[in-house]
Amino acid sequence: MNNSSYSGRPGWWGSLCRVFRREFGFVFHDVGVMLFFFALPLFYPIVYTLIYNPETVKEQRIAVVDESRTADSRTLTRMVDATEAIDVYAQCNTLDEARRLQNNHEVYAILHIPADYAKKIGRGEQANVTYYSDMSLLLRLRTAYSALVDVQLALGADIRAASMKELASVSDLVPIPQVSQEAIMLGDPTQGFASFIIPGIVILILQQSMLLGVTMLAAGSSERRRRNGYFDPLAVSAPPSASVIGKALCYTLLYLPCVLYVTHLVPMMFSLPHVGVVWEYLVYLTPMLLSTAFLGIALSVFVTERESSMLVIVFSSVIFLFISGLTWPVYAMNSFWQLIGACVPARWGIDGFLRMNSNGASIFEQTHSFLMMWILVAVYFVLAYVVTHYRDRGRRLVPDTAAA
Amino acid sequence: MKALRSAIAYGWHQLVSRRIYRVLMTVPLITLFVFYNLMEAGLPLRVPSAVVDLDHSTLSRRVTRNLGAGEYNKIVALPESYHDAMDLLRKGEIMAFFVIPRDFEHDALSARPTSITYYSNMAFFVPGTMAYKGFKSTAISTVGGLSVATLTAVGLPESTIGEMINPVNINLNCPGNPWLNYNYYLTNSFIPAVLALLVSLVTAYTLLVEIKHGTSRRWLEASGNSMIVAVLGKLIPQFALWSVVGNAMLAGLYGFCHFPMNCPVWHMILAMELLIIASQWFAVAMSCAIPNLRLSTSFCSLTGILAFSIAAFSFPVQQMYGSIGIFSYILPIRYYFLIYIDQALNGIALYYSRWYFIALLVFPLVGLLGLNRLYKRCVNPVYVP
Repeated sequence: MNNSSYSGRPGWWGSLCRVFRREFGFVFHDVGVMLFFFALPLFYPIVYTLIYNPETVKEQRIAVVDESRTADSRTLTRMVDATEAIDVYAQCNTLDEARRLQNNHEVYAILHIPADYAKKIGRGEQANVTYYSDMSLLLRLRTAYSALVDVQLALGADIRAASMKELASVSDLVPIPQVSQEAIMLGDPTQGFASFIIPGIVILILQQSMLLGVTMLAAGSSERRRRNGYFDPLAVSAPPSASVIGKALCYTLLYLPCVLYVTHLVPMMFSLPHVGVVWEYLVYLTPMLLSTAFLGIALSVFVTERESSMLVIVFSSVIFLFISGLTWPVYAMNSFWQLIGACVPARWGIDGFLRMNSNGASIFEQTHSFLMMWILVAVYFVLAYVVTHYRDRGRRLVPDTAAA
Repeated sequence: MKALRSAIAYGWHQLVSRRIYRVLMTVPLITLFVFYNLMEAGLPLRVPSAVVDLDHSTLSRRVTRNLGAGEYNKIVALPESYHDAMDLLRKGEIMAFFVIPRDFEHDALSARPTSITYYSNMAFFVPGTMAYKGFKSTAISTVGGLSVATLTAVGLPESTIGEMINPVNINLNCPGNPWLNYNYYLTNSFIPAVLALLVSLVTAYTLLVEIKHGTSRRWLEASGNSMIVAVLGKLIPQFALWSVVGNAMLAGLYGFCHFPMNCPVWHMILAMELLIIASQWFAVAMSCAIPNLRLSTSFCSLTGILAFSIAAFSFPVQQMYGSIGIFSYILPIRYYFLIYIDQALNGIALYYSRWYFIALLVFPLVGLLGLNRLYKRCVNPVYVP
């Protein structure tokens, strides 16, 4: 029956082209889909970068409880205050007083200098100082901690130099090792938050916005079918394979300018790490777009109303963000989540893109991720084919009048 | 009262008639499982790292062994040169590497200047930081150990040397989270944020789908022609179900997963109930402002997803640009997160969190203001796709 309904109509390639063309029409006549396909990839990266653009935590307010009240303790306070990370907001007499400030959210931490601080330094003993963090955010603690370690090392060097003078006779005789150390941060030299998270997020935005748009288009078609006795008056009748491939090619082609924008222009606008080659990004991300398009077509079985695409897709962004390995590294996941993650196109997209964009790797060094994305293309094509085939099976692809 | 009862019956019927609502109710709990199971370790330790040993001496081999024995790094490769290590890093096989220069032992022991260099790939922030920590502490202890050995050799007492190497020690005291467990922040903020997102999405959807299907007049009739009764008729049954989900989530977080709970548990239960109510009314306000199903749900998705960033679960609001950071205060989840930090994590007196509870109570008032506009749309429903 199905075969006869195709007779007198264009062949496989012809129907592919017609599906491709018709799908363009659908996209450009649907404000909702345009919003997902173009507005989302256009504005989300900007909004996200604006949120994280200050990059690092600076001048977090702390209270100092100085029970030593000596020149030494004041030097320590001054050195802590002089760091970029910390601002000495208050000097308190007691820990209780400082704790009240902390509970009122006026300061984020307390630096407690005990009464015997200067005495211990003078005696050549180790002096202990305590930093009480309120633990409201790990990033604050992390920045404060590395600033405090620097202060500790600098102060230690000063005190050591002074005491070495007293041991002058020894230090002349003994070869004291002169080993310096240098830490080099690759990929994100400033250790900024935007530089690390934006390159990954933009790839996830590409995937999620495409899924939203594709499922909304499919739901529109399914609404039309419900209204017209399982016949979509606007659809092109084509074999499932041609229909699926035609649609996916249309979406992929529409997304290529977005890829150029999010992978090239966004990092350029905000001076984020960007050391890769543009055409390599485009080639690398093409299989991700294709597999996402097929995945979207397959997922549309769950979406029967245009607006419910949001109910189905939106929350998955949060889960995908984590299993994509951007915030929680893949090596630390158990094999179950590694497997689930492997099924998400953006997981491979993010992985390779970060290395190309931030570490200057070439596409030839990302063969594993690239291959995995092509495997996903094949898998999701089959899935999309099966879904389309079973949906159309036994249902009229053309109205009775047209067939007659 | 009779109108309210019939409105609730109407809302309940809508809720149970479609599978998608039932499925969505389970999503927060599924997400909780995903997060808990995914990040069970708390910290992603044992970062795949490499050591470039150009010295090949007893000392350099000891440093390599120390690095591998530490909790932060797992030495998976011993490349021959910097370039080989960079290639491995670009291929993604390692996240960081440590370079021991040529003649390191010889130079160090004869007091000639030499340098240890370590590289961390901060494009992957969390593992990069972990690797950096491990490298730094090994480098410091190696240098310290060398100094101790040399000074002991000339007869200085060991106690004096220890103090000379580190005369001032700044201790870190982290009362709420001494393990620096990253998961305490992520799971406790992201899961309620998923709940808030779904609550507001479902609220906006169930209200405005009446306009789409043209059934809004029937809905109003069932509610005695009162908009507030009609809205309450939908919100009350949904609240009952979300509240079960929310409390199951709290039971999962604090009972099953044993996340820190340093306050009486009812503080968090109260915060959860208020979060659900505030998210519902946030969506009501949104539906009144934009009474179009697609735009309103889009807007709820937009704010719900941006909430994960703007509500400052990892990057502080105080650091954002003022014009961006201000938006965090229109999100119910922000106040819930602040209550969580104060109460469950730090266990300070409820008094200090009073404003956050009050802020959550403001959301219903804002929603009430717009009901008249929604009423007009419900009387003349027009569907714009």
